[in-house]
Amino acid sequence: MIKVSGLKHSYAKDGTYAVNDISFEVKKGEVFGFLGPSGAGKSTTQNILTGLLQLQEGQVEVAGYDVKKIKNNMFNQIGMSFEQSNVYSKLSAKENLDFYAKLFDVETRDPMALLDMVGLKEKANDKAGSFSKGMKHRLTFARSLINNPTLWFLDEPTTGLDPAIAAEIKEIIREEHKKGATIFLTTHNMQIADELCDRVAFMVDGEIKLIDSPKNLKLQYGDKVVEVEYVKDNETIKETLSTIIVEDKAKLKIIIDNYEILTMHTKEATLEEIFITVTGRGLV
Amino acid sequence: MKLWHSFLKELKLGSKSFYFYMELLMAVIIIVILTMVVPENFESKANEYIFLDLDSNFEEMFIDSIYASSDNVTLEETILEIGKDEFNVDLYETDEKRIYIFDNEVDMKKTAEKKKSLGVTIKLQDNGMFFDYYLQGYESEKFINIVKSVHVLDAVTMQAEYDKIPVKSLGGTQDVLTDRENLLPLFLYFNGSLMGLFIIAAYIFLDKGEGVIRAYAITASKVSTYLLSKVLLLSVTSLVTSFAVTFAVMGFDFNFLGLFILVLTSGFFVSIIGLILSSYYSNIMQSFGVLYILIILLSLPAIAYNIPAWNPAWIQAIPTHYMIIGFKEIIIENGDFMYVALTSLVFLLMSIALMPVATYRFKKTLTVGG
Repeated sequence: MIKVSGLKHSYAKDGTYAVNDISFEVKKGEVFGFLGPSGAGKSTTQNILTGLLQLQEGQVEVAGYDVKKIKNNMFNQIGMSFEQSNVYSKLSAKENLDFYAKLFDVETRDPMALLDMVGLKEKANDKAGSFSKGMKHRLTFARSLINNPTLWFLDEPTTGLDPAIAAEIKEIIREEHKKGATIFLTTHNMQIADELCDRVAFMVDGEIKLIDSPKNLKLQYGDKVVEVEYVKDNETIKETLSTIIVEDKAKLKIIIDNYEILTMHTKEATLEEIFITVTGRGLV
Repeated sequence: MKLWHSFLKELKLGSKSFYFYMELLMAVIIIVILTMVVPENFESKANEYIFLDLDSNFEEMFIDSIYASSDNVTLEETILEIGKDEFNVDLYETDEKRIYIFDNEVDMKKTAEKKKSLGVTIKLQDNGMFFDYYLQGYESEKFINIVKSVHVLDAVTMQAEYDKIPVKSLGGTQDVLTDRENLLPLFLYFNGSLMGLFIIAAYIFLDKGEGVIRAYAITASKVSTYLLSKVLLLSVTSLVTSFAVTFAVMGFDFNFLGLFILVLTSGFFVSIIGLILSSYYSNIMQSFGVLYILIILLSLPAIAYNIPAWNPAWIQAIPTHYMIIGFKEIIIENGDFMYVALTSLVFLLMSIALMPVATYRFKKTLTVGG
């Protein structure tokens, strides 16, 4: 669905690159996470993919279209949820969606159904300008689905939303994925990437450091140990035991069989820990 | 269809925006100024302050000469208020001037000085009339020479000499606009072009502030459609306000088609300039310097229009020069429609040529400030 090869972009055109020779592919039906701290080059890459920024160097193919010669038809297949809400504040939520629906040549979704989906049905006739930041974000999110996109770009889709709404948004993303949409998710939130993405790319200083599935990364970078907390002779004891070493495995069995277990966790690495290990950089 | 829907959206947004009503309000203000404040023709009567130091016979002769100079002469004994002073005067009003006859020279001189105007004492000397002129110091040498030469020959001889000079008009009968009508082209170009330039930039900056241009760019509609919808909105409001102002001043006595095409094409041209300008900046404050210079530049032909003596050739390189002349041709009886049509065609062609530039600029700067 997306093919990027040797992509470079320089704002200053002085030999310094915001995006420096990156290549990757996103398969049809995949949820691809583009992860990195602010200034890593994520937004620049996404803007080039969506035609908001002109391609300088490299080859980019999106939904079968060469981005160098963008045709308007390409956008019939694309949806984009921006990080910063950008809706007409003087129009109502429904008027916003009604208007955008008329800008596509494909069958569009029912604006009221979309508003219902993001919890804004009751506010359909209210001006977007009167909305809270979170509501505007949800409206921007709903608008990105108006043309039933087969390739859906999501830029920080849960930023600024309360946990309950964020969970609903994640559920909508999963539903669209199930229906077959290819999703390009740009975020610095490792948790959402971990939950939703089939594969992730770690980007730092304009370069992709690694691309793999979260599961593989955890297997590769996580410690194969169990942390167990149990009570022995009225005393709480905490131990870390390997899940590979035979003696540790036997000891774990004895603890489970003979003592009261208070807590027990596998010591699995988080995506954030892996990111720091791989790139040597934090996410902020 | 996308252009139509975009236009309808612009109309809806426009009707909720301050700038839309500002344009309508400007039209109302212009109508009020032109119909209620500006007189049909500006007052052009000269004032003369005179003291007659003559005996009654000569004084009578002088008064008779005033009556003889015009078919409509009125006499009013009145009090002339100059600051805190009040002077009793005889006011003779003809078609061309007001002649104030004072009963003493001191009052006359005081009035001439306060009014910064010409004062004259007429007296008898050596069996002839003698004139003392009180000038204010700003008069040109040419004027002083004319005043002197008037008294070199007697009036009868002078008239006979004038009659010997043949005067032939080359232009035939000219239609003359009233002073109020003559101001209309200036208001039309101001309302249609200068306001349009500022307002389309304001609309763009509003959209940039909300970031909606970027959202529009990721739809199956063209950026040029977005820009044209703005131009269309401006065209509609310009047409409405221009026709309203013209109807208010001219009634139905103007070229409807001419006004329609010139407002449409000149508005289109100025809108494209506004679009290109706004593509370089993120908000109206940043653009203000350039916008201001541009508006001043486009206003120069208006100065030339008002001061015929100042009309340098380079003024003709400024497009608004042709707008003003074109608007004048539209309201003048037997105006040159070909001039209006050609001017409109040139504006249309320039707009078509510049439209790709505006589109390119917007495509290039979509991620900047919006």
